[in-house]
Amino acid sequence: MTDTEPLLVARNLVKEFPVSGTGGLFRRDKTFRAVDDVSLEVGYRETLALVGESGSGKSTVARMLARLINPTSGTVILDGTDVTSLSGAKLHDFRSSVQVVFQDPFSSLNPRHSVEELVTAPLRYQGRQIPGGARAFTRELMERVGLDPTWSGRHPAQFSGGQAQRVGIARALAVQPKLVICDEAVSALDVSVQAQIINLLRSLQREEGFSYVFIAHDLAVVRQIATRVAVMTQGQVVEIGSRDEVFDHPQHEYTRTLLAAIPRINPRWEARRRHLERAKAEAAS
Amino acid sequence: MTNSQRDQTLDQPADRPMLSVRDLTVAFPTAKATNEVVHHLSFDLPPGGALGIVGESGSGKSMTSLAIMNLLPPGATRSGSIVFRDTELTALREPAMRTVRGSRIAMIFQDPLSCLNPYYTVGDQIAEAYRAHRHGVSRRQAHRVAIESMERVHIRDAARRVNYYPHQFSGGMRQRVMIAMALSMEPELIIADEPTTALDVTVQAQILGLLTEIRENTGAGLILITHDLAVVSETTDQIIVMRHGDLVESGPVEQIFSEPRADYTRMLLDAVPRIDDAIDDMRTLPSSAAHETPTEGARL
Repeated sequence: MTDTEPLLVARNLVKEFPVSGTGGLFRRDKTFRAVDDVSLEVGYRETLALVGESGSGKSTVARMLARLINPTSGTVILDGTDVTSLSGAKLHDFRSSVQVVFQDPFSSLNPRHSVEELVTAPLRYQGRQIPGGARAFTRELMERVGLDPTWSGRHPAQFSGGQAQRVGIARALAVQPKLVICDEAVSALDVSVQAQIINLLRSLQREEGFSYVFIAHDLAVVRQIATRVAVMTQGQVVEIGSRDEVFDHPQHEYTRTLLAAIPRINPRWEARRRHLERAKAEAAS
Repeated sequence: MTNSQRDQTLDQPADRPMLSVRDLTVAFPTAKATNEVVHHLSFDLPPGGALGIVGESGSGKSMTSLAIMNLLPPGATRSGSIVFRDTELTALREPAMRTVRGSRIAMIFQDPLSCLNPYYTVGDQIAEAYRAHRHGVSRRQAHRVAIESMERVHIRDAARRVNYYPHQFSGGMRQRVMIAMALSMEPELIIADEPTTALDVTVQAQILGLLTEIRENTGAGLILITHDLAVVSETTDQIIVMRHGDLVESGPVEQIFSEPRADYTRMLLDAVPRIDDAIDDMRTLPSSAAHETPTEGARL
């Protein structure tokens, strides 16, 4: 890692869930170990991608990092503070440092609330003053995520999927977080909209300087946004490293299997298309 | 369908398309206006060919497949011509269409769980579908067909697992069960609508490989509908790109990917995230989401 302290350190995280119905007449319910001794670090201005297939435990790790659920054992340290056992006012402070953007904006945004109510909710919930008033604050945030600020009175149903996801991102930004956790935040979007949201997430990070934990099953998306990658399977991190290391020189067998399974557009076709486009652009100029 | 009929259809000249769609229009008429979701779409599928229909949400790709199967939602109308092996499907009444559907054209959907009845074993469901299309087949024979078709999609230990309920299978295995159900009928054409979208990438690779294997072994045609350009590029040989119900561009797969003619296709290809390298600023469609109207956004 770097010589400076990382923003977030997770040590030996374990999460077990009881599995109802697994017990029989003579057996108790088993516990299922969804996360099995995961340790990782997220540096300042860094994007750590957690990748893996369904059931790998990546979302459970993210939820523990955001303290949406408590770990069975292990610690999470944010900015030098152990947040694993925070409560009361200190937990409130932590909540404004870490924000989550979920996969489906329509289920994570209250359909009865306007954009203004949605975006200012985290501040009101924490009893904080809204700088410059709710209206001006909302409009400014909407502009930053590329939404028309005159739409601040609209409700989620009046937006397309990509626009609604921008509202979700605006809400995450409202409290000026240090860490934004994106849980499959671009997975449900059409490819052209997905590219726009990826560009937006990257430019916001450049401007605001926060870090991302980016959870995704789509490795091609991860390649576009991550600085480091942690590969998870069956509750464990099997490989962690810089993005290009992991993609270009995967060390673990599972990472290799995962990378090999991804459908690819024939690189020769791709190269030919780029070549023809360049030739066309040159001829035009 | 009897064997002699099947032989006749196989005797057709190779250049005659197996499916020919002309001027297909799907619309939802309302009191105020008619909302067309597919406009005058025409395409051909050669015998044993594999056609990919790609587009973003609202492009009309799924409506096209539902129109072929006459499974459009209530309130939708279709016009134009759909000729499948010399049969004009749009002229068929429901009972005749029902014999085509399932037994000659099979359809595989994205979500196998919603297509399987949780109260019956998968074997019973495959057998029941088979007997619905093959009169005079005994339960015992149908049960054997169920096991055989599960073996054909590489479900190990099929003789035992034929008695499993859907919830006892993983998502990928359920999709195999759906494909097994489709295969039991020995269809001439398989229409798969986002068959791997809900699946993990390693399972997706297996299912796509399976579809290709089936095509090679049985000579069935395939229409693969997906939003995923990389998936069609590996699985099909002809491509149709759709947007807002219109055909944007069509052609052989290599041509679409190396020499796209339409701006929209080019931009779609540019927007696909690359696994092999990182691009600093991904190019996107000019109609930036920022100021598009919500209805436009919903169509995109």
